[in-house]
Amino acid sequence: MARSFLSNHSPCLWRGAVSVVTAAAVMLAPAAAQSPRAQLEPAVRQALRQALLKSYAELFDEAPKLEFTAAQTAAMRKILDEAQKNCTTNFRRRADDFGRQLRDEQNRLRADTARIDDTERKKRHCAIQNLRALEAQARVLAEHAIPVAYENRRAKLDLIEKWPAELKQIQAEIASGAHVRRKWGDVKDIGFRELIPGQEKDIKTGQDAVREMKLAGLMPPEVENPVVKKYVADLAQRVGRHSDLKVPLHVTVLNSKEVNAFALPGGFLFVQRGLLEAAENESQLAGVLAHEIAHVTARHGNRLMKRSTISSIIYQAAQVAALILTGGAATIGTYYALQYGFYGLGLVLSLDLLGVSRDFELEADQLGVQYAWNAGFDPNGFIHFFDKMATREGYVNGLSWFRTHPPFYERMVQSKREILFLPPKEGLVVNSAEFDRMKAELKKVTAQAEEEEKDRPSLLAPVQGCPAPEKIEYKPGEPIEKLCPEPGESSSGAR
Amino acid sequence: MSRTRRIFIRCALGALLAAAGAPGQGLGQRSLYFTVEDGEKLITGLKEQNFRLYEDGRPVSFRLAEPETSVAVTILVEYSQASGLYLNDIVTAFRELIDAAPEGNWYSLATYSQELQIHQDFTRLKGEVRSAFDGLGQPFWGEVNTYDAVYEILEKLEFLDRRKVIVLIGSGLNTLSRHTMGDVERKVEAASVNIFVMGAGTLLRGQYDAYLDSMSRMTLLQSEAFLNMLAKKTGGQAFFPRFETAYRDIAQTIFTMLNCQYRILYESRARPDNRFHRLKLEAWDPQNPQKKYTVRVREGWRWR
Repeated sequence: MARSFLSNHSPCLWRGAVSVVTAAAVMLAPAAAQSPRAQLEPAVRQALRQALLKSYAELFDEAPKLEFTAAQTAAMRKILDEAQKNCTTNFRRRADDFGRQLRDEQNRLRADTARIDDTERKKRHCAIQNLRALEAQARVLAEHAIPVAYENRRAKLDLIEKWPAELKQIQAEIASGAHVRRKWGDVKDIGFRELIPGQEKDIKTGQDAVREMKLAGLMPPEVENPVVKKYVADLAQRVGRHSDLKVPLHVTVLNSKEVNAFALPGGFLFVQRGLLEAAENESQLAGVLAHEIAHVTARHGNRLMKRSTISSIIYQAAQVAALILTGGAATIGTYYALQYGFYGLGLVLSLDLLGVSRDFELEADQLGVQYAWNAGFDPNGFIHFFDKMATREGYVNGLSWFRTHPPFYERMVQSKREILFLPPKEGLVVNSAEFDRMKAELKKVTAQAEEEEKDRPSLLAPVQGCPAPEKIEYKPGEPIEKLCPEPGESSSGAR
Repeated sequence: MSRTRRIFIRCALGALLAAAGAPGQGLGQRSLYFTVEDGEKLITGLKEQNFRLYEDGRPVSFRLAEPETSVAVTILVEYSQASGLYLNDIVTAFRELIDAAPEGNWYSLATYSQELQIHQDFTRLKGEVRSAFDGLGQPFWGEVNTYDAVYEILEKLEFLDRRKVIVLIGSGLNTLSRHTMGDVERKVEAASVNIFVMGAGTLLRGQYDAYLDSMSRMTLLQSEAFLNMLAKKTGGQAFFPRFETAYRDIAQTIFTMLNCQYRILYESRARPDNRFHRLKLEAWDPQNPQKKYTVRVREGWRWR
């Protein structure tokens, strides 16, 4: 019966099916064929790409003047997604290729090991070393640098899209006076307001933490240069005096190239040499120190500790730190931050791990901007510093910036919002002769540290006598398009 | 005398002196790190005139130099499933060692079972080494390829032109190494490094000695002999503690010995002939030249 039904009706069914498929194809074809790239006119795409190359600070000024439609930014977002996918896939494939070549080379060496002389063996070792380096580079690019670079682009796109409306709202709030009622809006009372009572109770915790870190043998040596030490201490104390700090501030400058600073509960502030090197002017450094001091004044440490006991934090931190440190993915600041949950520039993975709310970081941003401003520094310095680091550190440390909560865009916008809410003030300091003097002295410290670093022995040093391993040319901070050009552009990536 | 003749004579004299290995024109400068001991006491403060150095039985001129202040210490740890019964010894030895380690040196960590693995390259922060060790997890392989590990770590250290020390924490047992004991011996003879050993499993060995057959006993003796050989050949020392608490003293002793080491620089007469050239270093009490001290120094060099 079924057969007779088919034989009787099959021509009719086939015709129907074909027409349905054809109709669907005709309807869907334009959408499928029109890639995000095609949805955006070349001139608009070019303009958007140029805008995305600008710094956040520039975009805060220029975004209200840019006239991109929501459809255009949405199409650009799709382009970025697509480009990231292609770029990541490309480098994963390259890493796999290098890995395959490496294994082939190793297998050939194993097969020939008894037959070849030392010259040939050395040649093979060099080839293996080169392939290892190339595989590692391609892997790091695929898994860290490329995603971070595209997240940076997307955050800027968010800024272009959302900042104009945000700015209007801020201006409306200022006009109506509503901004004064925001949380910690009483900026004229800084130093006389009580954020979270009981800062002095944190001193013991901080002392314990410092002692334990020293005992653990993880504390880098201190910078001995008196000019650098005094300058940083004076600057931090100046910010501290104009903050809500109720405990003495102990400032230590660590001789480590990591770009970080962190505060422990009870007023123990650690500034690493790399941060001083990275800061371009006094307002940038003051902004970062103010952010750290805000963690102390808002007692984020104490609030964190309430969530879990110190020992459980240490246990958890030790597990992760061991993993990270042996992998070489993070540096000492990560360890500290993991250890006590506190508190670098909010760059570390620990905040996720320890379940710290993003509100802490946003709160420290807000208060930090207020303290820098109150101490007479241009609060935009904080944003400029973030701006600079977004590209640089994002690449260097895959754990940082965009890997944290809250998203970078949100931190930038919230900081800018706070700056706009602050009462106007004349004569805000951007830079000083003391800062320049400190930088000059710091150069000596850095030179000495680099000299010592050159002297550092290594078990992982390249095989002696081999040419330097090839490099996939991409420097932190370079536009990602240099690495993954859009079709029609030339690539500068070696190999 | 004509100028040409004078040049010829000077060249001929130079060649003769070089062949004789005259100081300053030898084939290579050697740096010897050693301790001077009087029983269990380490002797410090001796002067150049209190030493005499012989190479292949012939006296060699030398100078006493300041030891390099920072030592590159590689901690080489046996970490295998086969070490399970005495893993506690290994962990204790490591912890005591890293606790006793003074600031200012470079420390690195490598482990071995089936193969050598570098877990921490040289760092001044010993906490990083401790963290690397804490992150090791359970040993994965069941082999203990000690010969390969020692051979390979010596190869890696070969090109470091500085004061180097290996502290080996392990039993000395060896299962499936590609290199033979002879290979390692030759490598050690050629390497400029002091090896100290913190033996693991000695306590266990003592407890079960009565139950061991002669083959097992022989294997264990051989492993201990291997570790002793490493230390003796390089001017280090091997310790085989019979109780766990001794590791602390051993760790402190190792670093005290390093702190009390002398350094001698001399021009070796030996040619790179791949033969072993024996060294002898004598030291005596400046107050009583008749009283000879024990010198813990490498046995000689194999120069390739």
